[in-house]
Amino acid sequence: MSKILIVTEVNNGEVKKNSLELLSFAKSQGLESDAVLIGSGISGQADVLAGQGASTVYLGDDASLEIYNTEQYTALVSDALEKSGATQVWLSSSELGRDLAPRVAARQGVGALSDVTQLEVNVDEITAYRPCMATKVIQKCKFSKDGLRVISIRSGFFAADETSPAKANAVSLLIPEGHPQLKVIDVQVEVSDEVELNEASIVVSVGRGVGGTEGCDAVKPLANDLGAAFGASRAVCDAGWLPHKHQVGQTGTMVNPDFYFALGISGAIQHLAGMSGSKVIVAVNKDPEAPIFKVADYGIVGDLFKALPIFREEIAKLKG
Amino acid sequence: MEIIVPVKQVPDVELNIKVKDGAIVEEGLSYVISSWDETALEAALQITEDVGGEVTLLTIGPEKAAESLRKGLAIGAHKAIHVKYDDAKETDSFAYAKILQKALEGRSYDLLLTGKQAQDTDAGLTAPMLAEFIGLPQVTNIIRFSDVSDGRITLHRMGDHGTEVVEMNLPGVVTVNDSLNEPRLASMRGIMMAKKKPLEEVDLDGIGVSAEMRGAPASMTEVLQYEKPDSRKEGKTFEGEEADTVKQAMELLVSEAKFLA
Ligand SMILES: Cc1cc2nc3c(=O)[nH]c(=O)nc-3n(C[C@H](O)[C@H](O)[C@H](O)COP(=O)(O)OP(=O)(O)OC[C@H]3O[C@@H](n4cnc5c(N)ncnc54)[C@H](O)[C@@H]3O)c2cc1C
Ligand SMILES: Nc1ncnc2c1ncn2[C@@H]1O[C@H](COP(=O)(O)O)[C@@H](O)[C@H]1O
Repeated sequence: MSKILIVTEVNNGEVKKNSLELLSFAKSQGLESDAVLIGSGISGQADVLAGQGASTVYLGDDASLEIYNTEQYTALVSDALEKSGATQVWLSSSELGRDLAPRVAARQGVGALSDVTQLEVNVDEITAYRPCMATKVIQKCKFSKDGLRVISIRSGFFAADETSPAKANAVSLLIPEGHPQLKVIDVQVEVSDEVELNEASIVVSVGRGVGGTEGCDAVKPLANDLGAAFGASRAVCDAGWLPHKHQVGQTGTMVNPDFYFALGISGAIQHLAGMSGSKVIVAVNKDPEAPIFKVADYGIVGDLFKALPIFREEIAKLKG
Repeated sequence: MEIIVPVKQVPDVELNIKVKDGAIVEEGLSYVISSWDETALEAALQITEDVGGEVTLLTIGPEKAAESLRKGLAIGAHKAIHVKYDDAKETDSFAYAKILQKALEGRSYDLLLTGKQAQDTDAGLTAPMLAEFIGLPQVTNIIRFSDVSDGRITLHRMGDHGTEVVEMNLPGVVTVNDSLNEPRLASMRGIMMAKKKPLEEVDLDGIGVSAEMRGAPASMTEVLQYEKPDSRKEGKTFEGEEADTVKQAMELLVSEAKFLA
């Protein structure tokens, strides 16, 4: 029998949507899953995972785990693996998952498949699809040897069921030492009530066409009107007009919301790689030849600053 | 500081990539240093310019991978090592990490600096696996360095909810995000000088990579086939005064795409 150990993530003390998606997906496939939950002061969230179907929740709850670090997290996942007897480990391909998945796999002496967008599970036979070469092609892959399957999965591809918490069967793990050569000093978080990019159903993104920080400030209210996450191209982040966490694309956040608004973004392949999975794309660009129009469902050739107030008016009307 | 930069030669993904019968069409591909690895090289050059030391490129690949090493030397690397591997097809990140481990045996370095992922696989697996095999700490997805000294470095990593600041005692493995820097280009003088720089060639037998450590037998995963992604259906474009075009687009967004429904 196969059994999945799902590495779950928390933000601001709450389980993230990407983790719930993985639990829901396992359940929909009739697969048994355990979860591992790591952080500081997060034990209360175990019931949320149980409600979503986790049989056992392995807890690593300690002040030293507040900020992600490879060594302790790898040791905890390995410990949970041994205790649960799982035959597969699933992670989100978040920055945490991208760092952790290969390290866990290597420690177990096996390979991994990363950034998977479609997964077929037949006991421990896996068929996985993953975009590569800047999303110009899709690889269909499998594991070619027996042994543990380590898979990181992009968020937003499976729906998370609505559930209510249930009493968890929780097991506390021993807290391991960190790597003697590494010390996490700090995490610089901007305090904000912004919607997270990979959790949003609408994303409004800006490109170099906004011209500067003032331009970004002018577009932000549109995102607020829509309850949308605020994204950006790399050009905008590199110029320092917005912090890097707003970057959408191959090296930023991969998003696939229901609606993606691209304002003043040319549509370079690395940007498209991160958002072309969006269900509906709306683009505004002055240049009718901009490559973004090749992927846009609704393309407006024009000045974003002239378009902006009309969008806001129309949206205000719709919202009544 | 001694820095080794593993670089992979990959098809240029800016060009058109064709797929036929489940495989990538070789014809028309042009090969380059994976662009994140160029960022890693630039970072390595900046560090050694700052605190002294040398930058060594390391690639595992066929004959033509030497072109990428020459290019890296022209950009400014001091030395290069070419592990010759002609039949590299079917080799996954796990197997490459094992070969890299072998290639690094007996060599001294303070830092292994690579791209966060290779442009052909977009996997991001090799460096953390290598770090685990050697038993070194890793910090991935770096957007800034600070306080670089001989024995220690402070790394700013782009995490999920902010910038994580980590102090690492060397040696260690670091992977870079492309926003770290803007890689310099090779100068005419650099290209001339590259011809005189040491390029060491090693074969797999020479570093103890047995037949079982190569290709499919050594790999844990396998690509069954390549496919083109579903192309998006043709969209609608609106030209004219924004006051009109935005309204037209919004009408369809609501009626066809059920926006804000
Ligand atoms: C390894 C690598 C990784 C990368 N990763 C990413 C990534 O993750 N994300 C990413 O975004 N990029 C990434 N890039 C960079 C990418 O190649 C492009 O350089 C970048 O996306 C361009 O950003 P842009 O569209 O905002 O700027 P530009 O390409 O300069 O486009 C600006 C657009 O704005 C339009 N415009 C100007 N003024 C107006 C106006 N008033 N109204 C309407 N339109 C206007 C112009 O017509 C133009 O099309 C990466 C590059 C590399 C090499
Ligand atoms: N054949 C290779 N030779 C040298 N370095 C490699 C090779 N394969 C992978 N790497 C390094 O590992 C990184 C990540 O590769 P990947 O796991 O395929 O995304 C690359 O950017 C390189 O720095």
